[in-house]
Amino acid sequence: MAGRQLFMTFPVTETSHSLAEYRARGGYTALEKALRQMKPAEIVKEVTAAGLQGRGGAAFAVGRKWQVIQYDDGQPHYLIANADEGEPGTFKDRWILENSPHQLVESMIIASYALNVRNAFVYIRGEFDLPYHRLAGAVEEAYAAGYLGERILGTDFSLDLVVYRGAGAYVAGEASGLIASLEGKKSFPRNRPPRLTVKGLYQLPTVVNNVESLSNVAWIVAHGAAEYKKYGTPKSPGTRLYSVSGHINKPGVYEVELGYPWMKFLEEDCGGMRHARAIKCVVPGGVSSKVLTGADIKDLKLSHEDLWDAGSTLGSGGMIVIAEGTCMVTLLQVILRFYHHESCGQCTPCRHGTGWMHRIIDRIVAGHGQPDDIDRLYYISKFNDGTTICGLGDAAGYACTGILDKFRDEFEYYIEHKRSRLDGNLECLKSS
Amino acid sequence: MPEIFINGQAIQARDDQTVMQVALENGIFVPYFCWHPQLSTAGNCRMCLVEVEGRGLDIACNMPVSAGMKVFTDSDDVKAHRKAILQFITLNHPVDCGICDKAGECTLQDYHYAYNGEASLSHDEKVKSTKFYNLSNRILLDNERCILCLRCTRFTHEISKSMALGIERRGDVSNIRPVEDRPLSEDPYSDNIIDLCPVGALLSRQFLHKSRVWYLKPTPSICPGCSRGCTINIWHRKPEWFLKSLDQRQNTSIARITPLENPAVNGPWICNKGRDLSRIFERVRADEPMLKGRPVSVAAALDEARRIISAARHPLALISNWGSNEELDAFKQHLGEVFHSFVKHDWQAAEGERLEDDLLIRADKNPNTAKARELFHEGAPAYHDGTDVVLIWGEGYDFARIPPRAKVIFLNSYLAPENGHANVFIPISIQTERRGRYTNFQGVVSAFEPCFPKKDTVTDAEALFKALAAPARGHP
Repeated sequence: MAGRQLFMTFPVTETSHSLAEYRARGGYTALEKALRQMKPAEIVKEVTAAGLQGRGGAAFAVGRKWQVIQYDDGQPHYLIANADEGEPGTFKDRWILENSPHQLVESMIIASYALNVRNAFVYIRGEFDLPYHRLAGAVEEAYAAGYLGERILGTDFSLDLVVYRGAGAYVAGEASGLIASLEGKKSFPRNRPPRLTVKGLYQLPTVVNNVESLSNVAWIVAHGAAEYKKYGTPKSPGTRLYSVSGHINKPGVYEVELGYPWMKFLEEDCGGMRHARAIKCVVPGGVSSKVLTGADIKDLKLSHEDLWDAGSTLGSGGMIVIAEGTCMVTLLQVILRFYHHESCGQCTPCRHGTGWMHRIIDRIVAGHGQPDDIDRLYYISKFNDGTTICGLGDAAGYACTGILDKFRDEFEYYIEHKRSRLDGNLECLKSS
Repeated sequence: MPEIFINGQAIQARDDQTVMQVALENGIFVPYFCWHPQLSTAGNCRMCLVEVEGRGLDIACNMPVSAGMKVFTDSDDVKAHRKAILQFITLNHPVDCGICDKAGECTLQDYHYAYNGEASLSHDEKVKSTKFYNLSNRILLDNERCILCLRCTRFTHEISKSMALGIERRGDVSNIRPVEDRPLSEDPYSDNIIDLCPVGALLSRQFLHKSRVWYLKPTPSICPGCSRGCTINIWHRKPEWFLKSLDQRQNTSIARITPLENPAVNGPWICNKGRDLSRIFERVRADEPMLKGRPVSVAAALDEARRIISAARHPLALISNWGSNEELDAFKQHLGEVFHSFVKHDWQAAEGERLEDDLLIRADKNPNTAKARELFHEGAPAYHDGTDVVLIWGEGYDFARIPPRAKVIFLNSYLAPENGHANVFIPISIQTERRGRYTNFQGVVSAFEPCFPKKDTVTDAEALFKALAAPARGHP
């Protein structure tokens, strides 16, 4: 199996998410340690020293975000766990919320203690049903056990945790869009500056962290930064949860250390490709990251630095494995339909660009492609890159150019012949 | 005082400024749609992208200045991106300038010629949306023309505070829509969003398809609707475009009224009442002098008035607070010694009209009460048994309150039953026919200019007072 793990250390059963079993696994000892033995600044220092990177997609160092918060600036601070897991192909936070919600709750209490937070929030996507109920149950249990509320564990520290359900907008997963939504507004991302750590929720300093990033905190506090750094690679410490889907034998959520060999992961952990077909390409971390071909990933390790070198990113850990024989034109159609549907419509380039890309790819698939359509897709992607408030416009462009760069010939064939070069191939190969 | 460089030019900026503000202050134009000096920064149109050395492109409207930053507003990269932004904006914009009221003063049209000038790159159909959406009894919305700069929603949230507008749906099918239970028709400032709209999405029902804007010219004026005295532009037909046939009344009627920006008084806004001044100024005019309802010449009416005044023992005057500073001064100078004078309030708030608020609207619905008060008595006219002549200047006074034996000299501009009851009736000019100044409640003096010529039988009050003070020539 995948070696050392921080999350998947217990067999998942009907009751393994409960407080009793979490405590039996050593849960909430980190909280005791933090509240009784550590100063808030020490926790921030420890998390910074651990080199924990954000697991939501951008891999921004959690410690650096935390350090911006001035503990004693006299203002209220907020902590928000971003559980609006909407990146296509990503469902790893769901595993934590369903099976180990107390790990998130405990980590959030520790983080709130470190950042002088009195009110913390979990913004969970509306489509999550079981995860919501498991998390809400965990919060309830934590209140009953005195881990939340007034004077936690008899100390002076008090914290209230609110679980807020979103209404299902992808763009609400962007931190400032999330905050707008939490404030009851349309989830329009905000311009920076000011940064959210300066003016976030209700114009006050706010830390927004991904569920998986936050959930690491309890472990780091319990075992120390030095121990944490033994996992993973020097530049990307720790483990990561990957949600693997596509033409693979055992799709699901896996936890492996950063720096784990990619092919080994797919072949051994995930059971290899379905019907032993060759890998055509892999979407490494949600469709917003650029695709890599089977040849690209051959010698790569699953770490941020390796993926960046290869021109892509580990992103959100939503890995989609695509077998040889898949039509990339129709794949891109699905992806661009998603971005068109989810663009919030705030910035001009993304509002019109995503729709434009979608209409172009729809037309190509319908057999009415024009020779300059590919150039047009590049044009739209280029002028969406870096010109919008949030990254949705950029991401649509990356997804598009990522596929076009590697599979341009397929698009040219489709436009010329008004049909896919690969139609039917996937089914043919199934029987072989 | 950080020093920044825009296109190589060293500029002293203030700490709290954005690059946009610094550039505009120093005469460097950065194109924008959504930004507005009076509204919060939305930063969604992306038109004001500029290049900062070492940091790439970002929007100028949300970029705080930092010492030594080198900004380029016209680099090749910036130009390419501007061009692309205009491609995106016009992607679903119906290029129906030929039938759009905004054509000629449309920001998008100007920018297209200045920064893009190319045909659309798209092979696909435009996204269809609602035309002529009924936003209120005053405003229509064309969602296809809308570029979603959100100036209008920000205006209703931040300035008029009616919160009447929001956005429905998302992406390229999102639409500006009224918010339930907050009707825009109840927002007395709603029409400002028509001016704010950088394209022809928000249309005035009053002005809809009335005229192309290039046939019109603005004349600076003052709204007489309340004591705020907002400065306005009265738009009317340019003489060189006068109609020679068809409906010639258009040549001398108000086409529309827009705010004239004035930081001292109203900023860039006016209320809807100020847009409806044609309802005040374009009522049926009284244009013939009369003696007890019998039409006479101006000279005959003047003579009779002089005779009455010179024979009076206790004459009393009711002074119009719609008179300009010059007219009030003229009355004081020429007739102040003759008459016992009181300020009269010509207009009262109408039924259902907003009385007062924090933004512009004042409870006193007359333009020049401040100046009138300065010169004349405030309060009810002190009639007594000996009052034998009453001069009434302007409308809004109930003739039943005049002592029955007193003779009445009435100066009015509009047709009214009282005109024929006065011993002497002399028609006077209205604000759009003369030059003058008003003093608002804060003491700020603004000026208005004539838009239209007056008839020969109509007299300017200022000249009239001088003429009345001349000795009577004796009755023929």
